[in-house]
Amino acid sequence: MNHYDEITCLQYLEGLLERPRALELSAHAEGCQQCRVLLRALESESKLLALALREQEEAVPARLLSPVFRDKTPWAWIVSFGMAAAGLLWLWNSVIDPWRAQLSQAGFGETDLLTMMLFRGSLWNGWQTMWTMIQALAVFCFALLGYFLLRRGSRRWHTVAMVLAAVMGVMFLPARTGAAEIHRHQSTYTLPAGSEVKTDLILIGTMSTQIDGTVDGDVLVIGGQRVTVTGHVMGDVIVFGQTVTINGTVDGNVRAFVQQMTLRGKVSRNVSAWVNTLDTDPGSEVGREVLAFANVITTEGRVGGDIQTFANHLLVNGPVGGNIHATCDQMTLGSSAQIQGATVYKGRHEAEVDPGAKLASPVQFTLNTRQPEYTSGKYYWHLALSWGAAFIFGLALLLIMPSLFIEAVRNTESLASAGFGALLIFGVPIVAILVCFTVVGLAVSISTLMIYVMAVYAGKMFIAVWLGQKMFGATLSTGGLIGRLAVGLVVIYALRQIPYTIGIWIGLLIAVWGMGALALALYRRLQRTQPAAPLAVAA
Amino acid sequence: MEAWGDLYREFAGPIFRFCRRTLPAREDAEDATMEIFMKLREKIGQYDASRPFQAWLYKVSANHCWDMLRRRRIRQDLETEGVEEMPLEHPDPSQLDRMLEESSSEDVRLALAKLPARSRMALVLRYYAEMSYDEIADSIGVRRNFVGVVLLRARHQLRAALGGKMAAGMAAGGS
Repeated sequence: MNHYDEITCLQYLEGLLERPRALELSAHAEGCQQCRVLLRALESESKLLALALREQEEAVPARLLSPVFRDKTPWAWIVSFGMAAAGLLWLWNSVIDPWRAQLSQAGFGETDLLTMMLFRGSLWNGWQTMWTMIQALAVFCFALLGYFLLRRGSRRWHTVAMVLAAVMGVMFLPARTGAAEIHRHQSTYTLPAGSEVKTDLILIGTMSTQIDGTVDGDVLVIGGQRVTVTGHVMGDVIVFGQTVTINGTVDGNVRAFVQQMTLRGKVSRNVSAWVNTLDTDPGSEVGREVLAFANVITTEGRVGGDIQTFANHLLVNGPVGGNIHATCDQMTLGSSAQIQGATVYKGRHEAEVDPGAKLASPVQFTLNTRQPEYTSGKYYWHLALSWGAAFIFGLALLLIMPSLFIEAVRNTESLASAGFGALLIFGVPIVAILVCFTVVGLAVSISTLMIYVMAVYAGKMFIAVWLGQKMFGATLSTGGLIGRLAVGLVVIYALRQIPYTIGIWIGLLIAVWGMGALALALYRRLQRTQPAAPLAVAA
Repeated sequence: MEAWGDLYREFAGPIFRFCRRTLPAREDAEDATMEIFMKLREKIGQYDASRPFQAWLYKVSANHCWDMLRRRRIRQDLETEGVEEMPLEHPDPSQLDRMLEESSSEDVRLALAKLPARSRMALVLRYYAEMSYDEIADSIGVRRNFVGVVLLRARHQLRAALGGKMAAGMAAGGS
């Protein structure tokens, strides 16, 4: 006797056979024991499957069962957004705009900072020639990271395309037509007096650099231990190294990222220095501004424009054509100081002013107590505005990447977040700075630091939502999450006001923990995109 | 908002269990459940009220879980396999009957977890979400005519996973 095959029997049981064929099978089964048993077995199998699948043997996680869906009162929204908008305005007016103006005065007008760092003149030429495999890999890794972060939504392909197009656009910006003279890893480089380099001069890894002749372009020294300019540089001098001494003349700017900088000659434009010590000798001259982040700054030469400093100790003992804006522990004005503009000083001790110093106006001193002014209304107003700015940042994060945000909030309950955060908060700047100084990837280093700063700032958002959930219960609704973010931020800002450095430590802990939670979420997200091993199939 | 809360409370459990059956890890199922409800809030406007809500809900969930599995390439194992060409062995009905009698629902769940993603998904869509063959075809990306084959193949794999000896015995039946 012919029997019906299994798939036909299954279709019969599922009611998918056409009626004549179903009747035929039914009639056959009445007289066929084997097909009858098969039909019964298949039916039992279906029932067993349905039972096994529908059985509630495992409890649903509590966090999935306890979301709270509640309408927020409109006034809370209005106040929140109002504060946030005011916070942004305050940030712009009080912090960003003055800084922008000060940087502009110091020669970093508009986009000049980025231009100087990345694409300007000799450095850009250097970038082209230093295009090594490691740099390519570094940029590729960043592009890949961006791709993985953005690929989760098909609609975000547009973003991916834009990001990649922008990266490619930046990479292939037309280079300046001028070429550069490049020297790599020489123990010493000397440009003799009377000699002239008629282009930019780039020196990489040179132990000792001596420029006695003339350079008709920029001078870029990367990784140089000792740099001395006694000749004439018609462009800028940019140095990443240990010491730089300018005895000659620089027609452009001097940008120094070194241990020690000494100026004995003339710089026609600006001096920007990220240094340990900066000395300008009495016979020296800076045509425009001096911007310095340093331990000790001593200016005895002439400065045509402003002096803007952040230092431990500032000594001014020479003529200054503009203003002094100093934030430091101690400022001293020597007997030869002649300040034609205002002297604004914020420090921990009053300025020491020699009776012989000539000032256009008295020193405007603000005591930097490093203690919040709890009795001042302005202090609380700024606190509220700062909360507003944080809230709007968290809101943007939540709305732009809700899934990642929620995952990061969930990660805050894991101790691994703290460990991860501690590792990153100290490790990333060190690595970024190392990368920067080896110039394996200046752009990568700067981008990493910018992302790092944002991640540190973002950390408190996840802790805030976690705190909110502890107070009001878990939620999945966007409104609920925003409400918890707002309340949680209030709690965090309140905790950070605890005196005797306790608040500072709490703030640091929150930043570490939150950053770790974010990093863990990103890490897991990247892990998920990796191909998993196929599940084993029993033979 | 209150209606949304009611809806969530009613369906969070079933959707979590659906995800739990289709995805390999509990954490994945929790994540997927949350993501599905977030997606639902965005897509609720697309719901056709003339169709059962639960069916639409499972459809969205199936697409989400299948997409997760696709991204992880778990289903790669069957991606290149021709569904049409799979040989199907005819079971020995009485041995199959006996094996099913001896199997508990817990055994079935354990065996189910060992199946390839597509097979597991097909069984869950059919016997948990009670989807039609058309809906299953749409969800897992096979032609309508081969859904039956996919389901049957999944049953064979399940039987094999339920017990090596019994599977060997069943295979001896021949077609």
